[in-house]
Amino acid sequence: MSAKILDGKKISTEIREELRGRIRKLEQKGVTPGLAGILVGEDPASASYIKLKQRASNELGIRSEMVRLPQSIKQTELLKKIELLNSDAKIHGIFVQLPLPEHLEQNKVLSAVSSDKDVDGFHPLNVGKAWMGQQAFLPATPSGIYEMLIRSGYSDLKGKSVVIVNVDNLIGKPLASILAQQEVGANVTLCLPSTPSLSACTRWADILVVSVNKPKFITPEMVRAGVIAIDFGSNYIPDPSSKTGKRLVGDIDFDTVKEKAEAITPVPGGVGPMTVTMLLANTVTAAERQTSG
Amino acid sequence: MPAEIIDGRQIASEIREELKEKANKLKGKGVTPGLAAILVGEDPASLSYLRGIAKGCEAVGIFTETVKLPQDVTQDELQQKIEELNKDPKFHGIILQLPLPKHLDTLSAESVISPDKDVDGTNPVNTGKLLLGEDTFVPSTPRGVQELLMRSGHSPEGKHVVICGRSNIVGKPLMGILVQKQKGANATVTVCHTGTKDLRSVTKQADILVAAMGKAKAITADMIREGAVVVDVGVNPVKDPETAKFKLVGDVDFESVKDKALAITPVPGGTGPVTTAVLMANTIQATERLSG
Repeated sequence: MSAKILDGKKISTEIREELRGRIRKLEQKGVTPGLAGILVGEDPASASYIKLKQRASNELGIRSEMVRLPQSIKQTELLKKIELLNSDAKIHGIFVQLPLPEHLEQNKVLSAVSSDKDVDGFHPLNVGKAWMGQQAFLPATPSGIYEMLIRSGYSDLKGKSVVIVNVDNLIGKPLASILAQQEVGANVTLCLPSTPSLSACTRWADILVVSVNKPKFITPEMVRAGVIAIDFGSNYIPDPSSKTGKRLVGDIDFDTVKEKAEAITPVPGGVGPMTVTMLLANTVTAAERQTSG
Repeated sequence: MPAEIIDGRQIASEIREELKEKANKLKGKGVTPGLAAILVGEDPASLSYLRGIAKGCEAVGIFTETVKLPQDVTQDELQQKIEELNKDPKFHGIILQLPLPKHLDTLSAESVISPDKDVDGTNPVNTGKLLLGEDTFVPSTPRGVQELLMRSGHSPEGKHVVICGRSNIVGKPLMGILVQKQKGANATVTVCHTGTKDLRSVTKQADILVAAMGKAKAITADMIREGAVVVDVGVNPVKDPETAKFKLVGDVDFESVKDKALAITPVPGGTGPVTTAVLMANTIQATERLSG
């Protein structure tokens, strides 16, 4: 039996519809949610990603302001710019596009964003609050994965084994932070591709989340029958049949694993579309919180 | 073969010896490390815990003061007191003894402790930094577990560590520590829900099992793999039916598990003493940073 395909585009569209309703309510109070993105330098991937976020914001009715700063900017100047946005009442959410040039200290820059406007959920205060089970902004990728699970009928994770092959600050750790809370109650394992006996870990998973950027890294032998497989890998492999000569694939060998899994996310069209949507959702939430009462 | 018994008291005394030297160096610069402990109310267990800390600190050369506040103190008054201590140069470390009376909001109070003096690592900013892998104060119990493993030759690097219990003071921060790409960490870590139906299938995966669920003798021999290292963070007062006196037992059924494990920590005398030593180490570290 072939797995149910978890359609990130469809779920994402659903969420965006809900956001439209919330934005209309804000508009009635005279509030337009505002999102500011900061891009330092000219990295083409970052530039195109930030454009994607801007376009999605505009489509939804979020006013977006993209601040482009030169590669050589001094840290103090960048921090000053962030301060200006922190105190700008029209801006409810701020994100800094990563990676930053090496001369800038990422942790200092991310901590400079007001924790109330930190819609990427990277400020240590938000990270700490989330880890302690308090209300906080959560990073887009892990919250997108959680939202996909809930909306696909997998909301009861009590006692389920979730194995995450990734321990990064953007994915593995914050996802553990969501799923390990008492109310969610999953058994969460964080591991690396280099973990000894990785297969034993992955085979144990009711829900397997992978983000290692290695094409076809997860094979059917590594999963248990009936697994829910979530793929956040992004790899280009050669494909002569494609016009560009290459093709985007994930970390899971989709065609074979889907025969064994209960559900699986495709790449593209799985977790990817969710991430921008969750950023927008955080922005609307930020606008609601900052203008309530 | 019976397991190696990991002697927490011995490890704690090693740590204290190292701290004495550091405290002496600070004294040479005219600085006496100072720790303020805030106690709301008169809970006897808390009082005795703080007395233990004061004694230990004194032996190492750390000045301590217990700041006692009445049971009915308001949130504002408590936070004002914390603000005062934040500014007081005599104190380099501040701890807030828990539990607080019900009318007080713990997290708000902890958030007021200056992150630079937060030697228990409870300010959410420090929790966040811990998880992000930045330099910060790490809560003493989970840091103590790591220290105990390292110093007894059972480094968690590359091992599968299963943590039973997900409290904000032990389970969660321990996961945060052990997944970092750092020396003494770099482990595969599972934090599990102790209500899991088949908890045994989870605990049996563990090269290192940490019991922190707060349930007496919950981990039995059939739940561990042959040759596992078992760390017991539990402290449960249990009434002895013969003497009718209370004694402390851990979350691990020590007698049965010790015959199957490679190494095990006893209760008492395991993680407890190391926790206190780590709190002192954090206070010395805070002093070095603040006076550096």
